[in-house]
Amino acid sequence: MQTVTLVPKEQFKISVEAETITPDNFAGKSADEIGALVAFEGNAPRPLSELFDIKVDGSADAADDVKIEINGNVNRVKRIGEAMTAGLIMINGDVDMRCGAKMKGGTITIKGNADSWVGQEMTGGEINVQGDADYYVGAGYRGEACGMRGGKITVFGNANDFVGEHMCGGEIVIKGNAGIMPGVSNKGGKIVIEGDTDMPGSEMTKGTIIVKGTVKDLMPVYQREGIEAIDGVEFTKYVGDVVVDGTGELFVK
Amino acid sequence: MIIKDVLCPFCGCLCDDLAVEVENNKVVDVKHACKIGASKIMGHDRIKAPMMRGDKNGEFREVSYDEAINESAKILANSKRPLLYGWASGVCEMMKKGVLLNEEVGGIIDNTASVCHGPSALGVHEKGLPTGTLGQFANRSDLVIFWGCNPVQAHPRHMSRYSVFNKGFFTAKGRKSRKVVVFDVRKTDTAEMADEYVQVNPGEDYLVLSALRAVVADKADVVPDSVGGVPKEKLVELGEAMKGAKYGMVYFGMGLTQSRGKYKNIDNAVSLITELNAHGKHSILPMRGHYNVTGFGQVCAWETGFANAVDMSRGIPYYNPGETCSNDLLMREEIDSAMIIAGDAGAHFPAQSIARMSKVPVIQVDPFHNPTTEMANIVIPTKVSGVELEGTAYRMDSVSLRMRKLVDVDFPSDEEVLDKIIAKVREIKGASS
Amino acid sequence: MSEMLIKNATVYDPINNINGDMMDIAVKDGKIVDSVNGSAQTIDAGGRLVYPGGVDAHTHIAGSKVNVGRIMRPDDSRLNRKPKTKVTRPRTGYTVPNVYSMGYGYAEMGYTTAFEAAVPILKARHTHEELEEIPILDKAGLTLFGSNWMVMDAIREDDLDRLAAYVAWGLLASRGWGIKIVNPGGGEAWGFGKNVSGLDDPVPNFEVTPRQIVRQLAEANEKLNLPHSIHLHCNNLGKPGNYETTLATFDVCKDIKSKRDRQSLHVTHVQFNAWGGNHWGDIESKSEPIADYLNKNDFLTIDMGQLVFGSATTMTADGPVQYANARLLKARWSNGDVELEDSSGVTPLEYHPQSYIHGIMWAIGLELALLTKDPWKVLMTTDHPNGGPYVNYPMVMTMLMSQKRREKEMAKIAELTFERTSIAGIDRELDWYDIAIKTRAAHAKVQGIIELGKGHLGVGADADIAIYDIKPDETDATVEFDKVEAAFRHAAYTIKGGEIVVKDGEITATPKGRTYWVKATAPADGHERMMEDLKMKFKKYYSVSMANYMVQDEYVERPVVFETGYQ
Repeated sequence: MQTVTLVPKEQFKISVEAETITPDNFAGKSADEIGALVAFEGNAPRPLSELFDIKVDGSADAADDVKIEINGNVNRVKRIGEAMTAGLIMINGDVDMRCGAKMKGGTITIKGNADSWVGQEMTGGEINVQGDADYYVGAGYRGEACGMRGGKITVFGNANDFVGEHMCGGEIVIKGNAGIMPGVSNKGGKIVIEGDTDMPGSEMTKGTIIVKGTVKDLMPVYQREGIEAIDGVEFTKYVGDVVVDGTGELFVK
Repeated sequence: MIIKDVLCPFCGCLCDDLAVEVENNKVVDVKHACKIGASKIMGHDRIKAPMMRGDKNGEFREVSYDEAINESAKILANSKRPLLYGWASGVCEMMKKGVLLNEEVGGIIDNTASVCHGPSALGVHEKGLPTGTLGQFANRSDLVIFWGCNPVQAHPRHMSRYSVFNKGFFTAKGRKSRKVVVFDVRKTDTAEMADEYVQVNPGEDYLVLSALRAVVADKADVVPDSVGGVPKEKLVELGEAMKGAKYGMVYFGMGLTQSRGKYKNIDNAVSLITELNAHGKHSILPMRGHYNVTGFGQVCAWETGFANAVDMSRGIPYYNPGETCSNDLLMREEIDSAMIIAGDAGAHFPAQSIARMSKVPVIQVDPFHNPTTEMANIVIPTKVSGVELEGTAYRMDSVSLRMRKLVDVDFPSDEEVLDKIIAKVREIKGASS
Repeated sequence: MSEMLIKNATVYDPINNINGDMMDIAVKDGKIVDSVNGSAQTIDAGGRLVYPGGVDAHTHIAGSKVNVGRIMRPDDSRLNRKPKTKVTRPRTGYTVPNVYSMGYGYAEMGYTTAFEAAVPILKARHTHEELEEIPILDKAGLTLFGSNWMVMDAIREDDLDRLAAYVAWGLLASRGWGIKIVNPGGGEAWGFGKNVSGLDDPVPNFEVTPRQIVRQLAEANEKLNLPHSIHLHCNNLGKPGNYETTLATFDVCKDIKSKRDRQSLHVTHVQFNAWGGNHWGDIESKSEPIADYLNKNDFLTIDMGQLVFGSATTMTADGPVQYANARLLKARWSNGDVELEDSSGVTPLEYHPQSYIHGIMWAIGLELALLTKDPWKVLMTTDHPNGGPYVNYPMVMTMLMSQKRREKEMAKIAELTFERTSIAGIDRELDWYDIAIKTRAAHAKVQGIIELGKGHLGVGADADIAIYDIKPDETDATVEFDKVEAAFRHAAYTIKGGEIVVKDGEITATPKGRTYWVKATAPADGHERMMEDLKMKFKKYYSVSMANYMVQDEYVERPVVFETGYQ
């Protein structure tokens, strides 16, 4: 097991793009080698050694044996964990946009809040946000047919609008409330919202959305099917979005 | 001397039938334009010379163009996240230079659409845009819907030139050839003159659009008794009317792009129009504000692949509204310098963004004093495009036309200033590499 | 300007009947000359393959539709992004590249001239704005006339001189090269959501038929003696059974003769119009009757419109087809009708080898090329980006040259395809000479630009030269297709107007190209009648003033004007 500890040297103002921070990139590297990897603060290339205090304990041959711990607020550090295939990232603070984008495997745990697009276009792996998440949890990129295709995202706090937009597979759980239009344009996957939300499942063609809290406005394009129990709890089941001939399932408590 | 067929450099209507009287190199009269267009062409007090100040609360001192340009170049070249914003009141030729400058400084280039019709582009990414040129609608539409826009106020000649009153090939009866319907949260001036006004609850346009789509898809049975403040019977009636139209037209504005759901409202409106095309012919058009905001989207798209909000900090164009738009960045206090050119950020940005701009160097390139001037450290006055400078502009329907030069003035053009800044930035960056 | 000498080139120059001769090519002041003196810059081609610079007679590279594609598709623009270099600007996009990538991509393959296939007159200024930004290439645009009110009114009133005068005026207004006709009449019908069903289905409200539109525009074309023939996208594109419309359309121009040494009809991307069957279930290839017709007739030429599996962005003035595609596939759809002139639609598509329909389309393009005996009659195109992006031309070239390469592709294609097509049984393999014809010589001949120095390497031609890393005598294209494709993809040298613009597949210089357009004159009385009608239409129906309509000189910075006409 190789444990890499990163402590941010400052509170970044201008966002830093650090897609180099992944278990795949760190596996088998020394602190100096990791320090030489480049991140970008705006348009300025900066080696990780300038941005973080870096400590490496142990070693690993491959990503699955790597643990990265970030101790401090990285709410202005983007793309951490991008496209990672295995391993663990623990962020003891807030994290900026596109954390875990295109993730294929492994686990990212964020103790604080996650900015927008956490788990964007994810295909596998697991992301846990213990605080709140902002917009577009597990969503896609502009114009793409699919956002998240696989893996699991859990947000223990609240999420903002457009959770799981264009979802094609995988699972998202929001323990708190979600903003407007979770599951918009979904073609698959499962979204569970334990708190409140608004206008779920617009243009959903396939997939499942379960809302345990209150729905402010139901989309006026769902066919009410009746009552169905999930794990012993009763939900009203709707099927839709009828306008797009959808067979998505929306369960509202 | 009367110059005919002049184009108006004000709103997205880009009226091109103006007649401007020029005497002794001064505009003395403008005919055919609306009041606001005429006012712009007639001209008013302008910034006389470049000026600079270190402290935004201090007095400006007059400087030479070279000094202002060199200082601007220095600031931008040494920034990690510079913003180049505005563009919409300039001509296309200078926008290309803006894209180039952004490449050189590795910053973000963004235009006024960010606070206006940017969401419309996002809707287009989802669904496309079934549309056409304004003459197409003028000659054919028998059902005209204004949704969340108020052309009587914002696009004064739109209804007479294009959408409602004019007599076209298939609309020879003019006003009588069309039924006009307004969807809005309040009864605007446009709603007053419409055949029908439909009041929508604020923030519920999205629901109304979905309900209409259900009606059009013959699935009205799932629609509840009232949606967005509109009774079901009314929704059914409207949906059927839209289905029965020979050529249905929807013009939309900020009422859709800036209310709850934002780009999703456009997405939904476009979807409705697309689905209506299974029945008759239908098109949709955003009512673009500035006369050349459309032009920026076109230029930026062919130059970079993306219509606005282009981040060049990594050397390749990156586009992600919500992340790379001016206000996204300003509100996070990321921008470390800004050039505001041919656009008035000071007037239109939210307070938080203005607060950020107050803390960083701001360069203004504009002929006129405006709220942006209050925040600026360097001010570079230029020619008024479309009055003192010719060049290309794109109308709201993406038809490109050439603006005329009416008078000569001794100011540089935006393009000349940008060229000089680019050259200086290259010099600075070349020296440090 | 400088002198250059290319030594030891194995040259294929079909226009000059040069078939693999080892020779030197001398260049001076941007042109091919007999000889140069000793101080010339020398390139040793080392016996490698040398072609005239590539010419693409039909592609969608600039203008409103292309930009609609870009704006709609950030998912496309995010692909292939490359940072700037000392010589190049940043690049983006695959099916809808940005203007810089558009030019560089062609040049990297050894192409030097391209024709934007569809320019609406009202939006021609936009087309030229983009063409001006595309680096390196010489270019031209084909102006849309086939659903135009001025055209239809002149035809209905049987006034050929008025029609010819409008064509001349329209080419001037759009700085266009030739007459483009797309789904004749359909663009107007689409103004109310309708279409025309065939050659004899009258255009609603205008009382002219597509047949009349095609015929009379062809006649006007020849009266004006334009360098190119009419360039036609047939009615019923994309509909099973449409091959009958296609054959009937060919016949419309059978007896039209040109004074110039060229076809009197060019029909474009015929793959999309060579379908048999009655519906998607029984669709089949009808390349055989089409090839048969080509084998028996010399008055027409076609281009392939080859399908390439993967992502495409369809964009065409055939509005109804685009809507139909979008509805079928539930895809994004942008429509762009142009008042009084035409329609357009843009829809992203994916072509899948496991779709037998796409498999059949793939086969048809190749069949058209291989079953037509005379290689001059079938130009290689993909109708970029409709059939697929132009960067795939090298792959298509190898499929024409190698049955094994076709079989490799066929191995991933749905089985049913081969019951509906004949491609599996075709063993013809084109050679270097044939490919030179299909990718440069024939394009230049069809477009009428040989006399302007394009498409060949004879003395007096523009020094547009492509050197590829292939020794033709030592390379068996029928088996070494991967090597051949790689060589065609990244030219060893691309020389444009005597300047090296590509070396080892990398851009080394980005000179600006020229824009070719036609200035035609028609008899005065026809012109007067035309102007009367035109002024009325501007006054009553156009949303822009006539004074602001025409493309101004400022938009064509390096024009080459071809003058022609009649009295």
